Amino acid sequence: QHKLGRGSRDKVQQFMAITGASEKVALQALKASDWHLEGSFDYFYSQPQISVTNSRHLEDLYSRYKERDADMIMVEGTSQLCNDLLVDPQDVVMLVISWHMKAATMCEFTRQEFIDGLQSIGVDSIEKLREKLPSLRAEIKDDNKFREIYNFAFAWAREKGQKSLPLETAIGMWRLLFAERHWPLIDHWCQFLQVRHNKAISRDTWSQLLEFVKTIDPQLSNYDEEGAWPYLIDEFVEYLTENGCVQRNK
Amino acid sequence: MNPQRKRIPKIEPFKHRVEVDPKFFDKSWKKLDDAIREIYNHNASGLSFEELYRTAYNMVLHKHGGRLYDKLAENLKGHLREMGKLVEAAQGGLFLEELQRRWADHIKALQMIRDILMYMDRTFIPSSKKTPVFEHGLELWRDIVVRSPKIHGRLVDTLLELIHRERMGEMINRGLMRNTTKMLMELGSSVYQDDFERPFLEVSASFYSGESQQCIERCDCGEYLKNAEKRLAEESERVSLYMDAKTADKIANVVDKEMLSIHMQRLFLMENSGLVNMLINDKHEDLTRMYDLFKRVPDGHSTIRSLMASHVKETGKILVTDPERLRDPVDFVQRLLNEKDKYDEIVSVSFSNDKTFQNALNASFEHFINLNNRSPEFISLYVDDKLRKGVKGAANEEDIETVLDKVMMLFRYLQEKDVFEKYYKQHLAKRLLSGKTSSDEAERNMLVKLKTECGYQFTSKLESMFTDLKTSQDTMQSFYANLSGDSDGPTISVQILTTGSWPTQPCATCNLPPEILGVSELFRAHYLGTHNGRRLTWQTNMGNADIKATFGDRKHELNVSTYQMCVLMLFNSTDTLTYKEIEQNTAIPPVDLKRCLQSLACVKGKNVLRKEPMSKDISDSDAFHFNDKFSSKLVKVKIGTVVAQKESEPEKQETRHRVEEDRKPQIEAAIVRIMKSRRVLDHNSIVTEVTKQLQARFLPNPVVIKKRIESLIEREFLERDKVDRKLYRYLA
Repeated sequence: QHKLGRGSRDKVQQFMAITGASEKVALQALKASDWHLEGSFDYFYSQPQISVTNSRHLEDLYSRYKERDADMIMVEGTSQLCNDLLVDPQDVVMLVISWHMKAATMCEFTRQEFIDGLQSIGVDSIEKLREKLPSLRAEIKDDNKFREIYNFAFAWAREKGQKSLPLETAIGMWRLLFAERHWPLIDHWCQFLQVRHNKAISRDTWSQLLEFVKTIDPQLSNYDEEGAWPYLIDEFVEYLTENGCVQRNK
Repeated sequence: MNPQRKRIPKIEPFKHRVEVDPKFFDKSWKKLDDAIREIYNHNASGLSFEELYRTAYNMVLHKHGGRLYDKLAENLKGHLREMGKLVEAAQGGLFLEELQRRWADHIKALQMIRDILMYMDRTFIPSSKKTPVFEHGLELWRDIVVRSPKIHGRLVDTLLELIHRERMGEMINRGLMRNTTKMLMELGSSVYQDDFERPFLEVSASFYSGESQQCIERCDCGEYLKNAEKRLAEESERVSLYMDAKTADKIANVVDKEMLSIHMQRLFLMENSGLVNMLINDKHEDLTRMYDLFKRVPDGHSTIRSLMASHVKETGKILVTDPERLRDPVDFVQRLLNEKDKYDEIVSVSFSNDKTFQNALNASFEHFINLNNRSPEFISLYVDDKLRKGVKGAANEEDIETVLDKVMMLFRYLQEKDVFEKYYKQHLAKRLLSGKTSSDEAERNMLVKLKTECGYQFTSKLESMFTDLKTSQDTMQSFYANLSGDSDGPTISVQILTTGSWPTQPCATCNLPPEILGVSELFRAHYLGTHNGRRLTWQTNMGNADIKATFGDRKHELNVSTYQMCVLMLFNSTDTLTYKEIEQNTAIPPVDLKRCLQSLACVKGKNVLRKEPMSKDISDSDAFHFNDKFSSKLVKVKIGTVVAQKESEPEKQETRHRVEEDRKPQIEAAIVRIMKSRRVLDHNSIVTEVTKQLQARFLPNPVVIKKRIESLIEREFLERDKVDRKLYRYLA
């Protein structure tokens, strides 16, 4: 796909040398300006996200946290990272960061994930990352981003090789996510699950719950039995009705 | 000779005046006038038709047609007025007679007058577009006589009065009635309808309104309907005797409305005599009458149908939920069959096999039979009972055939046919293994019926059960043929059952007595020798044994279950054993062991063991003694056959659980089939389709279907559509 001619390759090199950006960014900028070097600089400096990151710094940063005898950042490294950032490992911002990194598993980062992730955030040092934390946290408030983060969280929080999410983990994640996006029924939901349903959560149930939260009002006035909701949600509605938490006119 | 020009002859009119007699018209008319008078005076014989005809003819020829016509009308009016007066003067009953007489006279006169004035009819009338003589004569009669104020009302009243009297039972002059109505019809159908029919129908309506009111206070439903039927027949006869045929339907509608339609609900719902009462007491005659009468009444049949349906549902519901009834499954089903017979007869005899009624009946039966979820089990037990002993009384092929056909009708009503299948398999297994089928033929017949109803899948496993037994016989033969040496030991007969075809039984422990162990191991060796790679497991809870036993000086042969055999053989070495010792020695599970001991020690006439204490139940501390005082009239004593019984509560739960588990893969298979062909489908449509596909076996629960869909999503057979969450997509 990237069969660049000599001229183009030169431009990429020039771009990277002058701006200090990565190859990926260089390609993006040049493509956007139809391979005119001047135009590509304009493009680059007008894009606020593509801030300057230094690849060398990123490599150093990665080395600081990676395992001694594996090319991965694991639990210890993650823990250290959180310390350095002055955040609690349970802080939701870690989820957001992991999402940017497209991390496959909680508390694990590959080299690629780590470096590319930080680059797309636009930082190359702990200090810069620390500065970015508030804006990262704020991304949860954005509807579209929240949806992506929410759906990302399922696979991320899973055990390797498992299809479903253990109940405890799921409840923890839900509490975390809905702390920032207020859902009045979150407590009932978690209670219901613990009392009535002692099994793991499937992906379908996970993603359908977000739909439920977004479209159905807390009094369930617009809940439709024929709505093809997962049966767990049907049971939840029954549970709420039985316990008088909602008044439903049948 | 004159050389004059030849003259062409010319024809010219008379130059002289022809004297037309100015009195020609009057003279001619007078002739006719007199003649008509004579005709009305019944004096026509003295007249010359020819002369009169010629007179009229000439008049018309001389262009006097118009005047003649008018004069004629005047003349007729005069005569009619006179006749009218005569009719008016008639007293009482003679009124109609007088009217008839005058009418006959008038008709006769008109005929003659028409003949006389035929020429005018044929020439002058058509061109001047006037009404022909005869018709005109009728119109005049209508207007001057029938509709004369003094006659008209009296005529109608008289007719209606007579009809009323006849309705009340009097004899009236029907000929006179007929002639009168005929007269009205001849005057025109609108005359008949306006002057007679309409008032007749009105009066009839109020008559029957009153009659029905009285009758319904006095009579019960059956009597009332008899009366209605009688009245309808009466009215029909009345019309045929002295009214126009078209009135028949109209009066029938009136009676239907007043006597039947208005009181329909009250009649049907009458306590102690209404529809329900008739059904309960098989009052076929009354029911037939009701069916026939209400055929024409709007909503008549549909009301009867729905009342019948709800009654059947109610009584059916009581039948299937009454705890008394539920104690004996065979009796339970027999009652259902009786109920079906009863209603089949009613529909056939009283409701002319009306399909809509049959369908309503079927729907009701289907409804209440499925109210009790043990119906499938009980029906299977009923069949078991019949196939085991044969129909009581005449146990021939045909009778069994008939009974089984009737049972199949009940089977069709079942919504949970898969539950029936499970039980049928169990019961069939027990029958086959204990050798207790009364007729192989009958068993196979039943299978054929089930196969016809449900398809090959339903019966393939059952059929292989029969095959297993056949094969086992062959195996036994070869076993004994090859057996050399010790033929003193006990003989065994083994039935080898293919796992999967026979109902799954949990494998229980049981220590066989050494005598048995020996020969059974020989058999195992023989079998595995010829069938490599197979595994045999003794089903000790399904066998039976014949034991020779000596009690004092009496010898008996006992037929017992395998478990019982294990227990009894222990008493060869000792006279007394405690429960615990028996349990330990035989290793039979406690529930089965207790049941087994009960049948050996607590049943009168079969107590080969004596229990201490003599209570009915077995407790862990009981002791058992060999009962050498046991006696029986029979040499061969049967103790405890493995009879199919209705399940205990825990067993029932177990079976139901297994049925539910079996249904899950079937539901999934249906979902996958449907999605494979449709590719994309919404949730409700899937539920509908799945239900349709499976309803021949059972009614799937929508919640279960939903769970299966979610499981299939998990396993990535399906996915939800990204945009419309109610839509599912098949993943290849």
